[in-house]
Amino acid sequence: MSVRRAIIHQLREEARRLLSERRVDCIIGYETGPRGRVRPAFLYEPAEADRLVWGPECVHNLTTYLHNKKKPRKRGEEPPRIGIVVKPCDSRTLNVLFAERQIERGRVYVIGIACEGVMGRDGQPAAKCRRCTDRVPLVYDLLLGEPPAVEPAPDDWSDLERVAAMAPAERLTFWLREFDRCIRCYACRQVCPGCYCPTCAFERDDGLWVDMGIEIPQKFVFHLGRAFHLAGRCVECDECERVCPMGLPLSLLNRCLVREIEALYGHRAGRAEALTPLLFELGPEGSPI
Amino acid sequence: MRFTTLDRLKAWLDRLAQEVDLVAPCDVDGHVLYRPVSSSEEVLLDYERPELPAKDYLFPATEVLLRIEQRGKDVALEEVLPDRRQVLFGIRPCDAHGLAAIDALFLHQAPPDRYYQHHRERTTLVGMACIRMWEGCFCTSMGGGPTDATYLDVLIRPGPEGFFLQPVTPRGVAVLEGLEVTEPKGEPLPVEEYNPPVPVTPTAKWRAMFEGNIWMRHGERCLSCRICTYVCPTCRCFDVADRVVDIRSGVTRIERIRAWDACTSPNYRRVAGGHNPRPTNWERLRNRFLCKFCYYPEDFGPLGCVGCGRCIVSCPVDIDITEVMRDVAQK
Ligand code: SF4
Ligand code: SF4
Ligand code: SF4
Repeated sequence: MSVRRAIIHQLREEARRLLSERRVDCIIGYETGPRGRVRPAFLYEPAEADRLVWGPECVHNLTTYLHNKKKPRKRGEEPPRIGIVVKPCDSRTLNVLFAERQIERGRVYVIGIACEGVMGRDGQPAAKCRRCTDRVPLVYDLLLGEPPAVEPAPDDWSDLERVAAMAPAERLTFWLREFDRCIRCYACRQVCPGCYCPTCAFERDDGLWVDMGIEIPQKFVFHLGRAFHLAGRCVECDECERVCPMGLPLSLLNRCLVREIEALYGHRAGRAEALTPLLFELGPEGSPI
Repeated sequence: MRFTTLDRLKAWLDRLAQEVDLVAPCDVDGHVLYRPVSSSEEVLLDYERPELPAKDYLFPATEVLLRIEQRGKDVALEEVLPDRRQVLFGIRPCDAHGLAAIDALFLHQAPPDRYYQHHRERTTLVGMACIRMWEGCFCTSMGGGPTDATYLDVLIRPGPEGFFLQPVTPRGVAVLEGLEVTEPKGEPLPVEEYNPPVPVTPTAKWRAMFEGNIWMRHGERCLSCRICTYVCPTCRCFDVADRVVDIRSGVTRIERIRAWDACTSPNYRRVAGGHNPRPTNWERLRNRFLCKFCYYPEDFGPLGCVGCGRCIVSCPVDIDITEVMRDVAQK
């Protein structure tokens, strides 16, 4: 049996067991839709367990759906207990959400999968996989698969070179051109597990900081503001970039800040259960922070 | 059928670009999108279904409705209505069909939407037939088709050595006046590939299915973004707000704008006091589907979907309107 087949088999067995023993109320995993596309799946009954799949198409970071599961389904009940399938990169989100007191550790049963990498839209290894040094989830209750024998490639930040090489004016032109294409659909924010504010500061309907128009100034403020609000919190799962219908290279913005914060504080979001230092730590006298 | 060559078509487009606001499919950083053009060089003639519909040019994503100037107690209002002629070149039959669906509400209900009406009157629709059905397309199930001319002013069909011209309305005849025609060569290219049909269920059955677990099953993975409504040629919800443009030496300048809105977004239905009658993603998605197949046709006539397939290919979590349609038909 191939590694992948073995993982799928174990995954379904485990899901069946968790649901039939009522250890969890819902399992969030992956399934294949009728068009052959892999997508997030929510299972409630043991009989549904065979819908689960695993493979290189499982690119989505499912932890974002935990925010929909914070409230009880009925008034007076406990919030549901969730079983969730995570890759190593997704598991870093869990650390962020635990530290930020969004999800109680005891309410999630984490099915971690040792990962050989997933694919982007073009069928090539996703950018996040090319720089992944983990390959095994950092948080899990159950680990499926064997740590693959892939030599971890250290993050060389080569993706940032093209913007770093631009003069400031050129960089502004580059981003304005990208923002021009943005349709302000908010998919990038909606998919982001770190974007969970009940009212986003850049929500168009409230118009506190930006008005309702779908024009460059509003999009500019939204994207830069969002990047700053994720500084030290973004786990680089690249979901915002994946879902963008207009192909904006949003991870460039996030990763610029990831690099800065790692250089200043030695902090990389989700490596440990820790809050972003950006809001809470000051450096010694004379240091830039 | 009237016929013209590539060179003549381009010369005509170049002339149009001088005389009117010309909008055409372009390659924008690797995305096929309708954009204003100033020369035929920018215009794509062999292209897939553009990623966004043409509705933006009749019902702009952001539109200034009024300019308001306030000096002390004096308030001056100025209505903003563009008056140049506009030609939308190379739109797909489904784009025009989508506009016909929007017409049912914005034009054919009293009072008509002044701004939409104005854009509609200044605009000529020159369509380009599709040579195949693209990924996700199911227009043939929705009363349209890759070579359907019904809602256009002109339909162009590509041939092996030029373009076949089919004027549909007097406005279409007029826009073609400057285009030199020649002896036809060959035949219009046939449609290479048709996608399988999708069943369309009567509105009453959709209504009866309001309750039931089908919506949570399809909608629980929905991200509550706005992609599907913004890429849809028939979605036409909007919101209106005033914004202060500047305040200087006692004069306040304000713009009243309208911008696209989306029923899939979390705040769409929120009311004063914060109550939200559609609090979950799947309830909002249920509204999107019921609007298309029940509420809109019952209230205004046409279905709210023309089968362009755009929402299917652009949804990041594989929410597929045809899967829902099949499910409803089978229940
Ligand atoms: S997903 Fe893309 S198009 Fe949508 S708001 Fe984000 S950047 Fe803009
Ligand atoms: S159906 Fe898809 S595109 Fe539409 S709101 Fe939901 S996630 Fe976004
Ligand atoms: S609902 Fe989807 S398939 Fe139907 S017209 Fe709108 S975008 Fe196209």
